[in-house]
Amino acid sequence: MILTVETHALGRRFGRTEAVRDLDLTVARGSIYGLVGPNGAGKTTTLRMLVNLIRPTSGHASVLGKDSRRLQDRDLRRIGYVGDPSTLPRWMSVGRLIAHCRPLYPEWDDAFCGRLLARFHLPVERKVGRLSRGERVKLALLLSLAFRPELLVLDEPFSGLDPLVREELSQGALELAIEGDWSVLIASHDIAEIERLADHVGYLDEGTLVFSEPLAELQERYRAVEAMLPGTDEPDGSYPESWLDVERAGRIMRFVDRAYDRDKTSHDLRRMFPGIQEHTASAVPLQRVFLAHARESRRKAAQR
Amino acid sequence: MLPFQVDLRGGVSVYQQVIYAVRKAVVAGRLRPGDRFPSVRHLSVELRINPNTAHKVVSALVGEGLLEVHPGVGTIVAVAHAATAEELRKLLEEEVERIVVESKKHSLGLEDLLEAVTRHWRALDEPETAKGSTRRREQRSEKTP
Repeated sequence: MILTVETHALGRRFGRTEAVRDLDLTVARGSIYGLVGPNGAGKTTTLRMLVNLIRPTSGHASVLGKDSRRLQDRDLRRIGYVGDPSTLPRWMSVGRLIAHCRPLYPEWDDAFCGRLLARFHLPVERKVGRLSRGERVKLALLLSLAFRPELLVLDEPFSGLDPLVREELSQGALELAIEGDWSVLIASHDIAEIERLADHVGYLDEGTLVFSEPLAELQERYRAVEAMLPGTDEPDGSYPESWLDVERAGRIMRFVDRAYDRDKTSHDLRRMFPGIQEHTASAVPLQRVFLAHARESRRKAAQR
Repeated sequence: MLPFQVDLRGGVSVYQQVIYAVRKAVVAGRLRPGDRFPSVRHLSVELRINPNTAHKVVSALVGEGLLEVHPGVGTIVAVAHAATAEELRKLLEEEVERIVVESKKHSLGLEDLLEAVTRHWRALDEPETAKGSTRRREQRSEKTP
């Protein structure tokens, strides 16, 4: 497996704040990696370190086989990065801006650029300053796709956009990913979109990677469990580590089990609640996994 | 547009959901032998799914003989393919399980469930007299597992 991105104990401090710590992250070539996590989890900091916009304060990151700190213009021409679209020059027209960027990239693909312009319905004559937010993001993505980067890094591309624009953005990125071994690293709060697109998912919380694994494996392991308790008594002993976001309302108990195994979960339930009936377990959308982890983390923070 | 319908939902692998939708379309006759099947690119972009997943879907369906690859033409629904009992069983398994779980949750007995199934079955045997039920079934069948 060829790794497009590989980090070892990567960390970044801002004064006393540790924005990212001990991060071991790998993105395989040909993969779409979705990075999710609450606001302030360190997603943007991580992405910006990978494209050498900021320097790590500890650890190491290798991107396209090179130390991220040593990435030069030549290397950055192989990486597409879409961050804050408000940094595009407002006074240029869409067409001028495209013409301006084109000569900077030897790999620029005019035909692909034309297809993207049509797919994104971008008005060539209009000034960037007069574009809507959605159009600006689409333009930023077009400028990052048209030179066919080997790695595409997207930081919250979908935020504040309507479903149609989100669909167009995803489809544009897929047009790139289909044609070979491109990798995409995408940080987003649009978890439903991530669940469609990504084959690998990482969850970042307070600068630490809580999990990072193939989406299919994650979907196998996580289950939403519902059980009817025999009474309203407190359990014997504490809940297993793998139970997240345990909620009780009278005799009903719900939780998300991140290491579900019917026999083991049954056994744990019987041990804690003697006389309990069978439980039901159902598939957990990624959105629910996200919420369970986020709530669990908030609960633990409150206990500290 | 794709020749089959799938409303992807979270928690279940996209791969399984798309495979299911295609099988269902073939069994229900919406995809007929010889019909063109979308390319990996088309599947991926239209459904907004990972290209690797789209590729896996097509490979798996070719592997089980539901689709055929004809160089120069593309992928088509296999001509010789008739739905086997095994396929039909697989197709129904999840739905049956879901109905059973729902019934148990609402404390319905096996007899209640069988009675409801029989009623719907009969209603479909006499489509002229029970158009309402047919429509309901059509709507249900659009749903993915």
